[in-house]
Amino acid sequence: MLATRTPTPRGAAPRRPRLGVVKFASCDGCQLTLLDLEDQLLDLVAAFDLVEFAEASSHRSSGPFDIVLVEGSISTPEQAEEIIRIRSQATLLVVIGACATAGGIQALRNWRDHEIVRRAVYADPAYVDALATSTPISDHVTVDAELRGCPIDPQQLLELLTALAVGRRPQIPNEAVCLECKRQGTVCVLVARNEPCLGPVTHTGCGAICPAFARGCYGCFGPREAANTGSLVAWFGRDGRPATETAALFSGFTAYARPFRSAIDDLGGPPGPAAPAGDTPSQEVGGDARR
Amino acid sequence: MVTRDALMAGAREPEAGTPKAAATSPATHGSDDPAGFLPRDDFDRLFDLLRADGRTVVGPTLADGAIVYAEIAGTADLPDGQSDRQSPGAYRLEPTGRARLFDFAVGPSSWKRYTFPPRLPLTRGRRVDGQVTFRAIELDPPRLAFVGVRACDIAALLVQDRAFSRGPVPDADYVARREAAVVVAVECVSPSDTCFCTSMGTGPEVTGSFDLALTELDEGFVVRPGSDVGRYLAYRIGTRPATADEIARARRDVAGARARMGDPIPTAGLPERLLAAADSPHWAEVAERCLACTNCTLVCPTCFCTSVTQSSDLAGSEAIAGRVWDSCFTLGFARVAGGNFRPRVQDRYRQWLTHKFAGWWEQFGTSGCVGCGRCITWCPVGIDVRAELMVVAGPDGGGIETVEPLAPVNPTPRPAESRPISRVPIISRTVLVSHVRHETPDVVTLHLQTEDASLLTGRPGQFVMAALPGISAPPISISRFHHDGFELTIRAAGAATRALCSLRPGETIGVTGPLGRGWPLEAAYGRDVIVVTGGIGLAPLRPLLDVVLRERERFGAVRLLYGARTPSDRLFADELSELAGRDDLEVHSSVDRAGPEWLGRVGVVTTLLEQASWDGSRAVAFVCGPERMMEATADVLGDLGVARDRIWVTMERHMACGVGLCGHCQLGPSFVCRDGPVFSLGELGRAFGREGW
Repeated sequence: MLATRTPTPRGAAPRRPRLGVVKFASCDGCQLTLLDLEDQLLDLVAAFDLVEFAEASSHRSSGPFDIVLVEGSISTPEQAEEIIRIRSQATLLVVIGACATAGGIQALRNWRDHEIVRRAVYADPAYVDALATSTPISDHVTVDAELRGCPIDPQQLLELLTALAVGRRPQIPNEAVCLECKRQGTVCVLVARNEPCLGPVTHTGCGAICPAFARGCYGCFGPREAANTGSLVAWFGRDGRPATETAALFSGFTAYARPFRSAIDDLGGPPGPAAPAGDTPSQEVGGDARR
Repeated sequence: MVTRDALMAGAREPEAGTPKAAATSPATHGSDDPAGFLPRDDFDRLFDLLRADGRTVVGPTLADGAIVYAEIAGTADLPDGQSDRQSPGAYRLEPTGRARLFDFAVGPSSWKRYTFPPRLPLTRGRRVDGQVTFRAIELDPPRLAFVGVRACDIAALLVQDRAFSRGPVPDADYVARREAAVVVAVECVSPSDTCFCTSMGTGPEVTGSFDLALTELDEGFVVRPGSDVGRYLAYRIGTRPATADEIARARRDVAGARARMGDPIPTAGLPERLLAAADSPHWAEVAERCLACTNCTLVCPTCFCTSVTQSSDLAGSEAIAGRVWDSCFTLGFARVAGGNFRPRVQDRYRQWLTHKFAGWWEQFGTSGCVGCGRCITWCPVGIDVRAELMVVAGPDGGGIETVEPLAPVNPTPRPAESRPISRVPIISRTVLVSHVRHETPDVVTLHLQTEDASLLTGRPGQFVMAALPGISAPPISISRFHHDGFELTIRAAGAATRALCSLRPGETIGVTGPLGRGWPLEAAYGRDVIVVTGGIGLAPLRPLLDVVLRERERFGAVRLLYGARTPSDRLFADELSELAGRDDLEVHSSVDRAGPEWLGRVGVVTTLLEQASWDGSRAVAFVCGPERMMEATADVLGDLGVARDRIWVTMERHMACGVGLCGHCQLGPSFVCRDGPVFSLGELGRAFGREGW
């Protein structure tokens, strides 16, 4: 799965793995995390042959790649074709960030009538050729690994690249944010303040920043494994918290990732104008017009 | 300063690893010394004294809407006039209206943060030009004083002592922190609604294992020394003798706390009832509510599970291995290269509850629960362990039909293997890869050479942890012993085993071991020997066959039944052919599927057994393979008359430490790394071959 080092004769310099960074519908923040690894940049380019990274270099490559980091969601017909081409050029395809792993904040449009969204956003929508949905990369091609978050965590990116270089399994736990709160000694904001917090159902990796500043987790790393959203939603609602409030909490950067998506549907959809009559959110989501 | 330090050091009586529980005397709550009295205005003298002794004082203080344990300077940092209101899933601070400093129950933090830190670097590894070295990271344990330790938390410290100080392999960092720490207990007079120390027999009275025990009154503290350090502290603070009235009021307050808690959990027979409820439908019901978020285990003052983490530079030449708090509720906790042993949340909840309230007795001779109630308050969805226990294993059977317990409550112990490892952190020893043999497309045998005598003491069935810096160290069974080394036969199943399989002669690796209990060869003296194995499972049985053939006259008939997926997956094919040519043992082989080149039998290995006609009543069986294969094999062996106590299997589980301290490899009440990996079916009981354990 992760063997990127090809055997080389003793004494010969191993061939550096070809690393590419590409983007689709996104803000570029996750790619910039790579440039933010300032102390490690020289070691990184010594360990990897950085052949494609438009954010950093005008030297471009269309492949092949030993590893390609993919940022952004698939939001246009061209992107839907391009990601298939990228996949064909990559030994290892790693998706980075909430857009690439969950569809991003722009996936909130998946609950709406696309035409209304287009008219609301663009003065002249005729020039915009967009898909009705914003979808994660894994809806289109096979994904080998993912880094969550909006944006991704620099230490997780460094761990992933180091693990690939060294040949170990990347230590990217899929556990709850709660473990990090407890290790750091952060008092649980949900139990001690009744602050709604998605930490128990959210993938770790951020360093539990929000609870450390006495606010609840808003799930920007998306659902962890076995995320029991049903139980947490029921608990949030036990003392009369309105369903719309809980739905809004899930309707962030990773809203479209299951089971957050199902939780939002069960709670009546994300905030904002309701979907057009006769097209309930769950139908739109369940039948989703992707591909 | 130096003199005082020396006095304090001289006054500490316990030796490393010894519990301080012995000196208890319930009549006076644990001390024969006359009680003293310390006016509240003089309380700061205690802090001054402890800090002058070079200690970091840790005690309760207000932070982020709760009373937590943190470094404090003196009484001004204590939660004056504060209490807490706790219920399942909820914690609120509440002013009491009276000027007391310890008028609350336990909060989210526990002392284990200081005795067993959430993150700890352990060893440093180097790999340059294929040559590895490992060394320990210097311990630098702080000198601590804990002020405000409740009876339940003293019990919790004693429980962790059993795991970390008094087990076969003490944890050096824990021992150092624990033995250096001064314990100033404060009796609990304000239990919360989630407390149940009375049921667990741990409180609220402080009865021992403290240096100084305080009971708070409005005007000050009744003070009882519990050790020479405590007597010294009391003398230096300058307490006056407590009056009979003060002592009576102190006792009354603590008795009031006891009365308020009642006895919510009937604990008599609880471990047996819980193990009998292994198949309760209630586990699935709890799993509908349980978030598997791990909060219960991380706030628990006795939970001790960790994972080993690896970090390294990008070249992989400098690496640090450390440990981090983990929990049996994470998916990765029971993961191995081929899958996961506890994928479902109901499996994880059952593991936690049965371990805490039943398995702990087997492992450490105590309950793992001290009744502090933290897991109830800090469960984000308010799951109350008291209620769940009563449903799943209540005194009336909880409405669940009682069946044979999961595992024998007192399995017959076998003598422990030699333990070359004296304490953690364990430093891997460097050995030379002298020869590499490619066995099958994905299996490699490393011949390892060493002059280190401690590595050459192993017996068939034992394993080593094979380490490369920056890469996790997987457990690998020893596949042959030599006078100057041993062999490891490794299948490239994950990243770590792939790295080991790509080693070349002349390179070095680190190993720790030999670990675990091997095959009990003596049990087969004078009996027939049946070896049934599949695929890579032949590797741990190869040294057993070596011994059996070397000491052939000790055994009756010897039969080897070996199955592989395809002919090219057969391990040690040359050796198998050689064995098949001998007239003093039978070799039967099969493959699951084959082309025309294979002239032997096709079918799973149990089909070889099903055609057997020999009498198994005189036989001892040694079996290694996937759990389902071993289960099917055991059934057929049983039909042939082999007694369950004479069927020995070797179990696979996630192992991170190899010495029973990280908690990952638990199977029922056993640590597979330490108590196994070889078990008889009798020892495993119903834990064998069952989903979710």
